[in-house]
Amino acid sequence: MADKSNDPAAMWQNMIGEMEKGFNAFANQAMASPEVSKVVNQVGGISAGAQKQLGEFMEKYLVGMNLPSRAQMVAMAERLQSIEGQLNEIKALLHQVHHNSTAPDGGPPAAPKPPRTRRPPPAGGEQK
Amino acid sequence: MSAAAGLDLASIPERIQSEVQRAIQRSIKGVEYIASSGPSLGSTPKDILHVRGTMNLYHYRPVSDEIYRVPILIVMATTNRGYILDLVPGQSFIEFLLKRGYDVYMLDWTAPRPEEKSLRMEDYVLDFIPDCVRHVQRDSGETDVTVIGYCFGGVLSLLYGSIFAGGPMKNLICFTTPVDFREMKLFQNFSDRRYFDVDRLIDSVGNVPPEMILSSFEMLRPASRAASQVALWENIWNDEYVKSYRMFDRWATDTLPLAGEYFRTITKDLMWDNKLYNGVMSVGGRPADISKITVPILHAVAEHDHIVPYDAAKPLIEKIGSTDKEEVMLKGGHVSLVAGANAVKRLWPKLDSWLGERSI
Repeated sequence: MADKSNDPAAMWQNMIGEMEKGFNAFANQAMASPEVSKVVNQVGGISAGAQKQLGEFMEKYLVGMNLPSRAQMVAMAERLQSIEGQLNEIKALLHQVHHNSTAPDGGPPAAPKPPRTRRPPPAGGEQK
Repeated sequence: MSAAAGLDLASIPERIQSEVQRAIQRSIKGVEYIASSGPSLGSTPKDILHVRGTMNLYHYRPVSDEIYRVPILIVMATTNRGYILDLVPGQSFIEFLLKRGYDVYMLDWTAPRPEEKSLRMEDYVLDFIPDCVRHVQRDSGETDVTVIGYCFGGVLSLLYGSIFAGGPMKNLICFTTPVDFREMKLFQNFSDRRYFDVDRLIDSVGNVPPEMILSSFEMLRPASRAASQVALWENIWNDEYVKSYRMFDRWATDTLPLAGEYFRTITKDLMWDNKLYNGVMSVGGRPADISKITVPILHAVAEHDHIVPYDAAKPLIEKIGSTDKEEVMLKGGHVSLVAGANAVKRLWPKLDSWLGERSI
């Protein structure tokens, strides 16, 4: 078997691993400084503000072009989600109704749930 | 001894041949990778028991002939999808629990809609979780419920458990749950109150965009994404490696937005004022002091967790009121603790042996 220290593939992987660790450690140290927090939050704040303004501008532009805006698409997606949610509710109800209807009156349902009688195996015992 | 002396000269042609084959495989598999979709995740059979806004409650279909009396409700972190606990057969925590005879429910989240930006911490702790607990009780016919919280799902479970200390929570299991937010050093720095204007952010964006949450996670290890892509290319000939990479990469990038008001509370009460650790947290005017929790608790923490460092998670066991309490530290990181090969070997069997005797 080839010596790992002379294996170019292993050396390359090791180098990548070390570079990753070194860079992460360096970046973490740098990011722990208050200056970085200040810059990141300034940039983030500007970007959030700009994003909001751009969104408002695009909204007006799309209305002018007689095209659906993002807000309208989101609203449509919400309605679809709501319909999906209601379908799921109906599905759950149907499932429940079906479950009950196949059971004789007052009797156990057709596909009974497993009994809640399980106990842990004795110490050193094998799991079922 | 020279470097050349360590080389097995006879193996060189074999190695060259192997590398050429891998290079060919990389090209073929690389095309396949781009053209194909990843493995199907979260496919353990389940029923949707209850859906309301951002909240989904699933019930996984039992697979054992006999199950434990006490059902489990898993509370997922609000930033991520629950399928991390149900990747593929053989690597699914849910599947493991079902096979070991537990009755499993999961409170999973979908992206809050723009109009849900006003969801507050109290909606999650005083409404969503109790609502799900009631559904679990009704569906299972049992009063007691074991709650398992992952990451911030653990924080929500702690808040819920401390407010509803009289029950019905019977056992609590937390995975990598932060309590001392001062110790989340980089998140502390990102949200430094001198520079981070959370009110301005929430007022302008509504819900916190998932890209922002993802980049704040990635900033904790900025070189790791590039390094993992290099590793993917090297191993693209290996189907198992690629499958695993795709599962975890898909989950890690499938981040959810956070409801604006909820995020505002997290930032102010937890990140800035560290109220949970200081015992002065309240939700909707109700005190949430974890020393009031007295149920048995298991806290699993990861040795190399870069998202929730051990120092942030450690005080949970010290501060909780329970006498039956245990912390277990396992090798691995924030995600590999609960999913992947290490979890299969370490965490899951430990959890089963702890929980089994407390579920009867």
